[in-house]
Amino acid sequence: MPAQTTIPATSGAFVGDLQLPKTVKVHNLNHYFGEGELRKQALFNNNLEVRRGEIVIMTGPSGSGKTTLLTLIGTLRTAQEGSLKVLGNELQGCDRDLIVRVRRELGFIFQAHNLFESLTAYQNVNMAAELLGIDPSIAQGRIKSLLTRLGLGERIHYKPKSLSGGQKQRVAIARGLVHKPKLILADEPTAALDEQSGREVVTLFQELARDEGATIIMVTHDNRILDVADRIVNMVDGHIKSDVAVLEASVICDFLKDIPLFGQQTPTTLADIADQMLVHEAEPGEVIIRQGDPGDLFYLIRSGSVEVRIHDGKQERKVAELKEGQYFGEAALITDEPRNATIVTREKSIFYALGKEKFRAVLAASPTFEQELRQALFSRQ
Amino acid sequence: MNTPLAWKNITHNKARTAIGVAGVGFAVILIFMQIGFKGAIKKTATQIYDALEFDLMLRSPAYLHLTEPRYFPRSRVYQAASLQEVEHARPFYLGLSEWQAPISHEIQATDKPADPDDPAGQWRSIITMGTEPYNPAFKRDDICKLTPKLSDPRFVLVDSESKPEYGPVSGTEFTAADIGVETSLGPERVSIVGLFRLGTGMASNGACLTSPEGYVRACPWQTLDEVNFGLLKLRNPNSAASVKRKLQQMFGIPEQVSNAESFKNHDAATLTNVDVEILTREEVNAHEEYRWVVDTPLGQIFQLGVYVALFVGVAIVYQVLSSDIANMMGEYATLKAMGYSNKYLTRVVLEQSILLAIVGYLPSLLVSTILYEVVEAESGMPMFMTWQIMLSVLLLAIGMCVASGLGALRKLYQADPADLF
Repeated sequence: MPAQTTIPATSGAFVGDLQLPKTVKVHNLNHYFGEGELRKQALFNNNLEVRRGEIVIMTGPSGSGKTTLLTLIGTLRTAQEGSLKVLGNELQGCDRDLIVRVRRELGFIFQAHNLFESLTAYQNVNMAAELLGIDPSIAQGRIKSLLTRLGLGERIHYKPKSLSGGQKQRVAIARGLVHKPKLILADEPTAALDEQSGREVVTLFQELARDEGATIIMVTHDNRILDVADRIVNMVDGHIKSDVAVLEASVICDFLKDIPLFGQQTPTTLADIADQMLVHEAEPGEVIIRQGDPGDLFYLIRSGSVEVRIHDGKQERKVAELKEGQYFGEAALITDEPRNATIVTREKSIFYALGKEKFRAVLAASPTFEQELRQALFSRQ
Repeated sequence: MNTPLAWKNITHNKARTAIGVAGVGFAVILIFMQIGFKGAIKKTATQIYDALEFDLMLRSPAYLHLTEPRYFPRSRVYQAASLQEVEHARPFYLGLSEWQAPISHEIQATDKPADPDDPAGQWRSIITMGTEPYNPAFKRDDICKLTPKLSDPRFVLVDSESKPEYGPVSGTEFTAADIGVETSLGPERVSIVGLFRLGTGMASNGACLTSPEGYVRACPWQTLDEVNFGLLKLRNPNSAASVKRKLQQMFGIPEQVSNAESFKNHDAATLTNVDVEILTREEVNAHEEYRWVVDTPLGQIFQLGVYVALFVGVAIVYQVLSSDIANMMGEYATLKAMGYSNKYLTRVVLEQSILLAIVGYLPSLLVSTILYEVVEAESGMPMFMTWQIMLSVLLLAIGMCVASGLGALRKLYQADPADLF
């Protein structure tokens, strides 16, 4: 049997450039508010890994702990239990100096803009540039071009009092980005903005992610900007309910769509199936399925290749080779018979596996097209 | 870190800053006044001594303070004069006598004609000094020029700083118009032959100067042989300490009662059979200050006043600064979240506090200087705005603001930035 993990297939943990460092590693993180009898747990066993250059969108109902997790990652709260690594620094139990150093590499865009009333837009943004000792002439150019891009070119030297809510928000965004932070944390950055400036902000985020390798984590309810997300994290009641790499999920769905068994399913069902799959890793020459064993899993090949061997009583012979995007193991689940062939890896491979129960449940529960349409129309409201 | 954040914060919200300045200013004026009063008491103690010429002073070991000097044998002064280091040795008489106001203004106010011989004229206690007319013990030329006028025991010079209750002709202060007026000093009649300007602060409301013979007329409980002070002027003022030791040997004063601390310990001196003690000018001043500032309730009241003013000042400034900082807590927390260190935030708040202290201090200095003048004119207390007072009040004001600012910052130090937005 290959090494079975509890990592969901959609996490994307085993695809892409595996060498990319993790900007954020959250492991078994718990967080509590209050003291004594009023102590209330806000985060439960959160696990999250974010790679360099990824854009992560955190969603969930209010009170689900998104902002708490965001502020913990942003060092604005003290980590209590579990492990929290940001830019390679363990923040749990670290000293103040380290926190101050980490903060300087972060760009935080707060829900409350908190601009200094006594400083102009330019000076407010400059507070961030000064801190890192950026050469004043370079800083000046960068501040001006940022503010201009954000539509504040005319108002560079205005004080917050003379700016609208959206304009203040954009100044705060410029302040969070001017020092080219390695990790940008944004809490509802587009909430106070119209569609056009909201789009400009996320485009800026994308450029920073692509050109500077900045990692971006944002909490948002704004579904206009979902398209920029590399990863969508959904939180409910302090638990990370799902953590989906958008690209990987769509790759899996594409694979599944090509499988005749699942061909009739709607995208929502396919995404549900993808969510249920777990990652299996295998070394070259490992036996994944042995002929005659009872069948319990359905396999999709994410990467690598396998040989299909059938033993006809006298000798074992190779009957086929399967590659990325192909699948095996479905027959025994449908017919409830033992495995009818042996599968051996030819190289280091990654499989996404679906349990028997879930496999059957999906098939049984597959709704009709009409039902699905009703669902889609309902949820559009 | 070029943005002058502290300065911007101060200048941005003018109303808020004005309240801060007013708060600081109020506290500063309060402190200035209390320190001024306390200084006036100190000054009171030494004002007359400052006008006298001496490097060493002989006086009775039973000396209490300026207006209770007690007396000792005049022969001690002549003995001291025998030392060749002593240039002059002058007896000086000083005591409280009774002065009858030649013109009683309360009576005048009822339109009754003023009668200089009216035995019902108001009696006031007055500092009476006696010095040789042709060898006065004063070091001020303006007074020395006047003393030859005291050619008769019936003649007195009056301090023009004396209060109106002593009955000047003008009704407010003694002027040239008072010269020639007759009145009673003690049991005898005297006539005013001139005016000098000295001021006695809180020791008394008025003073007059006469000859030794005049003095014993005014204070009949004393004879010419019993003097209150012996003022020694030395050829070399720096030799005061060594001459003092010589005199002690000459007078047979044991060492232990003649040390500098003897003034705190009168008993030791009176227990020994010594009729005189010898003090340098520094010791005299120190004793007098100690007597007025520490021993008497007067000094303690104003010393306490300084503490109360400080306490009130800190309370006001803390209120102003902490609400100022509380208003900007979100902004400071943002700076902290951006990676500004506590050190930087402390600096900003300290700068802001110090700026507020200075901005509040300057107008208060002006107001206090005017108030000093007013108080001095009204009460005759010698209020002086010295640079020591200015500096120490400035430091106190800055200290007050800094302490309050830091107190208000505590919250920012301890809390996570996320809790402060």
